[in-house]
Order: sequence, then structure tokens, then C-alpha cells
Amino acid sequence: MRRYETTYILRPNLGEDQISEIIERTNGIIESFDGSIIQEDRWGLKKLAYEIKKESQGYYVFSDYAATGDAVDEIERIFRIDDQVLRYLTIKLSDAIDTDGVSDVKEQLALAEAEKAKAEEEEASEEQGETETTAKASEKATEE
Amino acid sequence: MPPRKRIFQRKRVCRLCTDKELVLDYKDVKSLRYFVTERGKIVPRRIYGTCAKHQRQVNEAVKRARQLALLPYTGPTQF
Repeated sequence: MRRYETTYILRPNLGEDQISEIIERTNGIIESFDGSIIQEDRWGLKKLAYEIKKESQGYYVFSDYAATGDAVDEIERIFRIDDQVLRYLTIKLSDAIDTDGVSDVKEQLALAEAEKAKAEEEEASEEQGETETTAKASEKATEE
Repeated sequence: MPPRKRIFQRKRVCRLCTDKELVLDYKDVKSLRYFVTERGKIVPRRIYGTCAKHQRQVNEAVKRARQLALLPYTGPTQF
């Protein structure tokens, strides 16, 4: 199996249900070819740098997965048929990945995510601390 | 022979070689904007002094970003 990442752009006027449906269908194809999804990310609505099929906005979906080349062929065939998909781009990240590799990568991603969340939390708490100290300082000032 | 005109040239070092943390990725449009002009052209090596290896990576990343409409083929990069 190989590791691929696919980014695709959906029409902006789709409802939440339709978006989920397309994503689930894509994931279903990967699984039906014995592949596994490593990461799925919705970037959400973004402005396009140029118009595609008269649309100036698009809903970006990113997915990172391990699968065979046949799965990629099938996904791209469906994307070409589907009118709701404006654009897609698949990139091969590595030539060989096994199930152990998939779980390793997943663990790393989870770790990175946790660290990111932690850092954000710390930042938030620091900011809070600062506001508290400034509040105290202003209180003192008023007392004097 | 007239004396050759001396043109002042500052030695440029590849930015990507000095800054190891900066990794090129077509998804990271913010850092890619540094390598394109305001009109969306890829900045040539002779301007920033990017080394051959990294210039190739820049090319690839910018072209991928263009396919996904993250960067324009032509036109303003700020939108």
C-alpha cells in the first residue's frame, strides 16, 4: 500500500449533509479497497484564487490515507463524474506503508495535535494571568 | 580595455538552507507567498539566491497550490 493525500474542493452552496455524504462516499471507496484513513480534515469555505466553474468560493476537504493505486483511480473517476466536486489533487507521500506504519503515523499526529492544544491552552491561561495582574494593578491605582 | 564597472553584489544565501524550520508545502500558502511576486509569478533564483534544490521544491509547491486555487496563475495574490 502507498500513502496518498487528496485535497478536493466542493461547491460552496452545498448543505452540511451533502458535504458529509461526499466525504463518507470517498472514505467508503478507500475502505472498500482495503485502505485506511489516516487523517481527515475539513478546511471549510475558502475564497478561490480564480473562478472554477463560475464559483468564486469553495469548500476544501483534505484527507490523508493509505491505499492502493486502484483506490485512487476509483476516487478520481467518481470525482470526475460528480458535478459537485470542483477540483481535486492527489499526491503520493510514500511508496510503501503497512498497517503498523499507519498506526505509527496516527499516533504521531495525535501527539502533535495534543501538543498544539496544550500550547494554545497555556497561551490562553497566560493571557488570563496577565489580565488579572493588570486588573490588580489598576485596582491598586484606584485605591491610592 | 576600459576598467570593468564594479557592480555591488551582496552575497545571498538560500533562505531555505539557513532556516531549516521552514518546510515548503503546497498547503501552507502564507509561506509560499514569499516566493511569488505580487502578480503571482514565481520569483527567479537570481533574485533571492535560492539554491537549486530548494528552488525546485518552490516550483513544485507553487504549481500544486495553483492547481487547487490557493494561489493564482496570474493576478493579485492577496484576495
